[in-house]
Amino acid sequence: MKILIREGRIVNFDAIQNADILIHNSRIIKIGRIEEKADKEINARGKVILPGLIDMHTHLRTPGWEDREDLTTGSLAAAKGGFTTIFCMPNTSPALDNEGYLKWIIKEAERIGIVDIYPVGAITKSREGKELTEFGILKKAGCLCLSDDGDPLEDVSLLRKALEYAGMFNLLIISHCEEKKLSYTGSMTESVISSKYGMEGIPSISESIGVFRDLELARYLKVKIHLAHISTKRSLEIIKKAKEEGVRVTCETAPHYFILKVEDLEKNNFHANFKVNPPLGEEEDIEAVKEAIKEGVIDCIATDHAPHSIAEKELPFTKAPFGFIGLEFAFALSYTYLVKRKIIDLKGLVEKMSYRPANILGLKDKGYIKEGAFADLAIVDLNQTWEVNKKDIVSKSKNTPFIGYILHGLIEYTFHKGKIVYNRAVSSRL
Amino acid sequence: MDGWQKKHLLGIKDLSRQEIEIIFELAASFKELSQREVKKAPALRGKTMINLFFESSTRTRTSFELAAKRLSADVLNFSSSSSSLSKGESLEDTIKNLEAYHPDILVIRIGYSECLHNLSRYTLASIVNAGDGNSEHPTQALLDMFTVKEIKGKLDGLSVLIVGDITHSRVARSNIFGFQKFSAHIKVCGPSTLIPYEFDKLGVEISYDFDEAIRDADVIIMLRIQKERQEISFFPSIREYVEKFALTAERIKKIKKDCIIMHPGPVNWDVEISSQLKEELHPLILKQVENGLAIRMAVLYLAGTKKRKYEDIN
Repeated sequence: MKILIREGRIVNFDAIQNADILIHNSRIIKIGRIEEKADKEINARGKVILPGLIDMHTHLRTPGWEDREDLTTGSLAAAKGGFTTIFCMPNTSPALDNEGYLKWIIKEAERIGIVDIYPVGAITKSREGKELTEFGILKKAGCLCLSDDGDPLEDVSLLRKALEYAGMFNLLIISHCEEKKLSYTGSMTESVISSKYGMEGIPSISESIGVFRDLELARYLKVKIHLAHISTKRSLEIIKKAKEEGVRVTCETAPHYFILKVEDLEKNNFHANFKVNPPLGEEEDIEAVKEAIKEGVIDCIATDHAPHSIAEKELPFTKAPFGFIGLEFAFALSYTYLVKRKIIDLKGLVEKMSYRPANILGLKDKGYIKEGAFADLAIVDLNQTWEVNKKDIVSKSKNTPFIGYILHGLIEYTFHKGKIVYNRAVSSRL
Repeated sequence: MDGWQKKHLLGIKDLSRQEIEIIFELAASFKELSQREVKKAPALRGKTMINLFFESSTRTRTSFELAAKRLSADVLNFSSSSSSLSKGESLEDTIKNLEAYHPDILVIRIGYSECLHNLSRYTLASIVNAGDGNSEHPTQALLDMFTVKEIKGKLDGLSVLIVGDITHSRVARSNIFGFQKFSAHIKVCGPSTLIPYEFDKLGVEISYDFDEAIRDADVIIMLRIQKERQEISFFPSIREYVEKFALTAERIKKIKKDCIIMHPGPVNWDVEISSQLKEELHPLILKQVENGLAIRMAVLYLAGTKKRKYEDIN
């Protein structure tokens, strides 16, 4: 099967070119002016073609909470958002802590055939922070990175062992930085607003203390580490300094950390759809996140897609679970708030959402549009605006604070290994 | 009532000075009603009020109940522990169930801060906040202010000192928002671990020295020390707390001559206030209770005369 994409504007992290793309089966075989006939032709004039987006941080709730999201709906949501590769976190029930679960997820994702799903293995058994999982066996099962996600290792000595041991297998440790004794049962950033409303706060230092601890370990052990969803100004200062000193650290943020702030909770009467961890920060945090994206202190933008049921998010703010869904909006949010506002250009966004994640995780033939690479592509109409609407969401869960937002940049097609896995004209109302 | 536009009473922070004055005016006339032989007015006849308490409270609940009865409303008391909610029964379901009885007023006490606005979408009734988490307890602040106004004849420009656990006090917050609307100077005093983060940004002065702060206060509100909050220990011992922050016979000598000392009750005698002062202070605290009834009658009257209308649902 050959597919020819005509006259698109191909955007890689380092260059833009107007050219045709010829796909044969799963790979791109030619880029340039193509006369050849194909089985199917798509006209991409006026559209941009991006390497398929890669999300380093997704929660697919499988196994255990398939009523919130399953591998199929998660894949559909990803494809709709232009993602072709997603990494799902192990905070499932049971936790993804052995090769059986990992192999099953990889197989299921292949069977579903919409996007590549890489399970992130747990660092410790049942994510209890006590005993390491079998990193070598997990690696053999297809695991590329490890994390205990929302329950960071409290035991620093165990984290040291994990970092050392993971290095032997070239496995990346992804750390959710949070000093839980400080965040305790808080539900929003400790601030004059939390004080005014009598809400238990999460001090911003609960993140930065975690960041500092992890970076000291990485520096000392000379190992690499990736920090998840960084949200505060202070954390970014610490990361920047560490990077300057040669610590092998990479980090990500999520779109809500450069768009929403703690005041948005007040404006929305503390609806739980605005509750997320790390919590929405102050104006200075948003500015720092944007600056760090621009400077490259932040390597990538992930979604932290976190599905929750309607009933869970109708609970009182202090009682409801943390998290937003994000796969379907991450590109448009980032394009609207970063590119349209000239924080970074489109190439920069491609770097943050595709090239760098591929690079950090060592994904071969992904993250860059070139001959021989997998035909993982997103065709985007940047001139379209659209409204985030609950009824258009394909994820099983609808918990997003961005309902009603008007965004720029609409995904028209998503190709995964040469197959059209999303076509806006046929698969959605949008 | 002219000038009253609110459907709900969710917090003092949402009220204007004028709205507070409307409540006071009504409360004064209802207070007079309670001193008559026949203590009943037909103002809310045919209306239904539900007391919906997710946290135990006898005093506030009975005050609302009696206030409603004095205004001839039908009253239903519904208590449910917050723990049953966490077992999967949702607040939304509870409110929707009660909505089937077409209540006019829901008086709600609940342990979760700032959840009432979201609940108001499930009912056509007016919601009156009887205490939500650590956020607000508007009728308590209204009765405190009303009491001060009765004694002092005015509210403007007073120095108000609030002493105790500020972090976990909805009474403190409502009083701060209320007195601030009358240009009061507010000082909070308590252990540094129980003063919220950046609290001075709300225009409040912070003091850790009760002996000093006590001198220039026109009004002192002593808060109840919630012993159940000891899950994380905020101060080493009650003994040390008493030593530094209790109102004692010694300290009371330093107050201004016409200083008013209040407490939302019930008092932990010998914790926040020495029982040596019981005889001296109890009458005023009971006056607060009496005024509480009048304030709640006023609030229920305003809430109950708002029509149940679909347009009000957001």
